[in-house]
Amino acid sequence: MSRTYGRVASVLIIRLPNRARLVTQIVSTSLYIARAHSHNAGHFFASTVSKHLIHDGNFHDGNFHDGIKGISLSNQRAEKLATVEAISDGLASLNYISNLHISTAVFLAHHLDKPVLIEGPPGVGKTELAKSVAALLDMECVRLQCYEGLDESKAIYEWKYGKQLLYTQVLKETLGEILEGAKGLSESVAKLHEFGDVFFSEEFLEPRPLLKALKNQDGCVLLIDEVDKSDYEFESLLLEMLSDYQLSIPEIGTIAANPVHKPLVFLTSNNTREISDALKRRCLHLYIPFPDADLETAIVHARVPEVPDQLRQQLVTFVQELRDLDLKKVPAISETIDWAKTLLLLHSETLDQDLVRQTLNVILKFQEDIEAVEAELAMLTNKATKTD
Amino acid sequence: MEKTLVDFVKVLRTAEVKVSPAETLDAMSALPIVGYEDRTLFKNALSILLSKNPEEKEAFDACFDRFFTAEDLAALAEGGPMSNPDDSSSDDPGDAFDDEASGEQQSGGDRTQKGQGGGGGGGSRSESEAEMDAPIDESMEPSSALGQLLLQGSRSEQMVALAEAGRTAEVNQIVVFTQKGLYTRKIMEAMGLKDLQEEISELQKAGGLPRLGLATRLKRARDLLRDQVRDYVERQFMLHADEHGKQLREELLKKVKLSNLEKRNFKDVQEIVFKMAKKLIAIHSKRRKTYRRGQIDIRKTLRNNMQYDGNLFDLRWKSSKVDRPKVMCICDCSGSVSNYSRFLLMFLYSLAEIIPKVRSFAFSSDLGEVTDIFQRSSLEDAMAKTMRDYGNGSTDYGQMLMDFKRRCMDDVNNKTTIIILGDARNNYGDPKSEILREMYEKSKRVIWLNPEPRSNWTVGDAEMKKYAPCCHQTEVCNSLTHLERVVANLLKYST
Repeated sequence: MSRTYGRVASVLIIRLPNRARLVTQIVSTSLYIARAHSHNAGHFFASTVSKHLIHDGNFHDGNFHDGIKGISLSNQRAEKLATVEAISDGLASLNYISNLHISTAVFLAHHLDKPVLIEGPPGVGKTELAKSVAALLDMECVRLQCYEGLDESKAIYEWKYGKQLLYTQVLKETLGEILEGAKGLSESVAKLHEFGDVFFSEEFLEPRPLLKALKNQDGCVLLIDEVDKSDYEFESLLLEMLSDYQLSIPEIGTIAANPVHKPLVFLTSNNTREISDALKRRCLHLYIPFPDADLETAIVHARVPEVPDQLRQQLVTFVQELRDLDLKKVPAISETIDWAKTLLLLHSETLDQDLVRQTLNVILKFQEDIEAVEAELAMLTNKATKTD
Repeated sequence: MEKTLVDFVKVLRTAEVKVSPAETLDAMSALPIVGYEDRTLFKNALSILLSKNPEEKEAFDACFDRFFTAEDLAALAEGGPMSNPDDSSSDDPGDAFDDEASGEQQSGGDRTQKGQGGGGGGGSRSESEAEMDAPIDESMEPSSALGQLLLQGSRSEQMVALAEAGRTAEVNQIVVFTQKGLYTRKIMEAMGLKDLQEEISELQKAGGLPRLGLATRLKRARDLLRDQVRDYVERQFMLHADEHGKQLREELLKKVKLSNLEKRNFKDVQEIVFKMAKKLIAIHSKRRKTYRRGQIDIRKTLRNNMQYDGNLFDLRWKSSKVDRPKVMCICDCSGSVSNYSRFLLMFLYSLAEIIPKVRSFAFSSDLGEVTDIFQRSSLEDAMAKTMRDYGNGSTDYGQMLMDFKRRCMDDVNNKTTIIILGDARNNYGDPKSEILREMYEKSKRVIWLNPEPRSNWTVGDAEMKKYAPCCHQTEVCNSLTHLERVVANLLKYST
């Protein structure tokens, strides 16, 4: 359907040179077409077009093409995000197996325009979710990795000092020409004021991930990874961005996101420290725990489809058993997948004790854990191989 | 539905899920998108919107299951636009639908209100009608609103009416279980019990087979309803009062003298201590820096300005990280004070995240370091071991101070905070306050916590008079609230 819109619109552009007429014509024609299809779509289309018109003050043909593209894009996206089931299916087609909680969170994030804070133990697919959603919606994924000491110059923007220096030098040289004919200090200063203040302008601005995400007109997925690793100050810095999708740069003003394509924001946290309430309040909160056996089997199946059924069943049972033990670091999904790949490389058909002992270091990352598990290896392997 | 949601949020808050008004608004705006036909979706969505950490999610799940029983939701879904004015149809996604439905509702609302609040006037009129109609009508329709509802209304309609009556009776104010009967009666009355009773007695007085039959049917329905209402009140009690009671008890325990605590309360108190500790950690976990404006940090400035071709654009000032307190805690373990020591140590070790360096000592006469025991074993075991090894002697503060001087005076420096907990009752021995003086001069702070009220500090064998001048701070400390204040101050001043 979206393709039809595009074609009709471009035909109109060629036919009607007059811009004002063009706009009204296009809106009414498209409304007409859309009505013929369905009431809802028409409403949506009209509102998107008008929003675009208002948003882009100077309206020229290139922009209009973008606008049409944007509409078809957001149409596609809205379709993919229409229901919770659609999201689950979409993610599954990208080999990301989600549970209901996860899909509901993505669903709400889209419909309420709210960022999602994802918490959970490491390796359960927090970052992967953001990436998969970006792939699903065919959007760019802008990633900001947090660490201690991250500040606005690395997260939001920085001035290109080198370029600014050059600019001042060029200015110095041409100053004589500019001030030619000015008498006295006040007159020269007045002349200087007439000269536009470009020193702090967008040309000298180096956008960092947050600003990049805002400026992306087609919408994008912004992934703020491991917020808990950043400082408190940085958290407060994020607040404006997360609640209003805008950033204030003192010298320039406020930069807001395209209201039609707001970035879809995901924050992840490993719970190394408590995130402040102010930040939590602005976000949807999704907790991803370790998956149950069925879900994990599905995930392994999706990610490493070559593994034979029996082995998959066994290794998932084994890992599930491990999670019940008192270990320093229990294996996560990513480790299960790695293990499945390892076993595949070794051409093994079923689990046995020796095999597990040799490959234990793939799923357990601490020597003391490995030693603890080795003692109970026979029992665990038996349990895993017996269940099927 | 909005009212229901607000009620639900209230319940969540009593169950210690912190829900802000903004989050409630978010939930409201999510409702039209999600709808409540799909219970799992509804629950998941609310869970994502309202509860913000794993513990809260657990509490949320429990609350949700108790608050929205399956029947309630079904009633909301179908009964919404029919008879319940509160469950407004703003939840319906379709815009065009809205006006019609709310109009219908208005009238529906009026009807219910009349039926419920009509009292005497409405009742008498319906009775006269009943008398007029009775001989003609064979099948006998009940005339009071409640009777009609009971015999003809669907189950969901009844549930909605019940919830409505519960709201007018303010059942969510229930506090103790003895009020259950009272609220059951109040709800029955709000639903129009009076009319129904009158009708039944009218019918019985009038006699005649069909009337008596109707009367028995009504009676049976009434008893059934009473059971339902009782059930409902019970659920509401679990929902609202259970947590209230817990909060009340916690408040009490916080204020009670620690020495008066009984063993069975220890577990609760421990929970409270952990909760308090968590709060303090949240407040103080940020490490502060103090900047000394005016002193340029040359090294940092040079390094930072390399990118600008060595031009000193961006100056960096000297700063120093504020140190975490290094705490040495000396606890009296003799019988009278042991309870206080127990909870002080518990408090300090729950704060390990923000006060990592706690060294603890226990004494009744001889001083011994118990840091290791606390680090290695669980709090309970460690407490028990400490009490076994050091408790139950006669107190000798002089000996304790001498031991301290001999063993760890060298470790005391200007970053150390020394906390001494004890009643300073020295059995008329030598107080050796000059050693405390030395500690006072070497350390950052000496805090003396005394469980006795200030007026007793100089009575009998108490030596506070001699010790107090050698302390930076002396505090009465005999309840959890006091303890919390002391620890909070400790963190505030040293960070």
